[in-house]
Amino acid sequence: MSNKMVFLGLGVFFGFSLSRVGASNYDLIFAMFTGEDLTLAWVIITAIITAFLGMKLIGLIGGKGYKGQKITVNKKPLNQFTAPGGILFGIGWAISGACPGTVLAQVGEGKTLGLFTMLGMIAGTYIYALLVNKHPKLSS
Amino acid sequence: MTNLYNFIFVDPWPWWLGGIAIGLLVPVMYYFLNTPLGVSTGYGNLVKMIIPKTKLKWLTSKNFADTLNWRFFFMAGMILGGFFSARSMGFPVTTMDMGRFTAIVDWPFLSLAVWFFCGGLLLGLGARLAGGCTSGHSIHGLANLHISSLIATIFFLLFGAITVWLIRVFVFGGI
Repeated sequence: MSNKMVFLGLGVFFGFSLSRVGASNYDLIFAMFTGEDLTLAWVIITAIITAFLGMKLIGLIGGKGYKGQKITVNKKPLNQFTAPGGILFGIGWAISGACPGTVLAQVGEGKTLGLFTMLGMIAGTYIYALLVNKHPKLSS
Repeated sequence: MTNLYNFIFVDPWPWWLGGIAIGLLVPVMYYFLNTPLGVSTGYGNLVKMIIPKTKLKWLTSKNFADTLNWRFFFMAGMILGGFFSARSMGFPVTTMDMGRFTAIVDWPFLSLAVWFFCGGLLLGLGARLAGGCTSGHSIHGLANLHISSLIATIFFLLFGAITVWLIRVFVFGGI
């Protein structure tokens, strides 16, 4: 089985999980931001703890993958655009009730308006490519 | 058996099951594929598929030399995962429903489409400037104790909450 099929399978698992737990549900995202229902906040916190423990376990067995290859975790860079980017992202998250991952689950579920969020994301990514061409400092 | 089937495929998952399933992707992807979990960079693949001849520097980088790389297959899988989930719950194949938004707001289709498109545009641009999204920063990055991920996540949540408050007051009419 090629790597690409493994990634396809992991994507199915990810999209299915997001959808089953309600992360692609507009109302649950809205309610997380108003504080009425913190289900999704707990999902994110549980996911972070699970991922943290999993990475610790990998560290304990020598930081190597199943074939013995060294696992490298590249730090995501911090620069002056991290916060402004986060602000735009937060506003977009609230407007669309989706993030780059959950919108894919929404599209699969058949939510027509989610398709427009996805098209908007493609356009936003293109705008970034245009901006970074003019202002190379933007690239992290 | 029926109970287990319903638990996984029909009833909504409890938060802990979803959290564990999603969190496990981070170590599993590192252990088997030496790849950090993340989705938003893959939208660059989609841009490049639409305009393959682009000369923009960011899109001609080696990240997007092969638009059918793992990111594309991962994203395609996520769409399929959402498809299976909604079908197993017996939802219709397409719906205009977007929860509270479409229940309260009485806009024509075009206005709704523009609203969600604009939200997506901010997500796409914001994720690139911030260097990641909810999966790459908030889950993968925080689990690996990256400072940039903490800062990005704080701004995601803070401005999400402020915007939802504004939507409540100005779009939903104070509900």
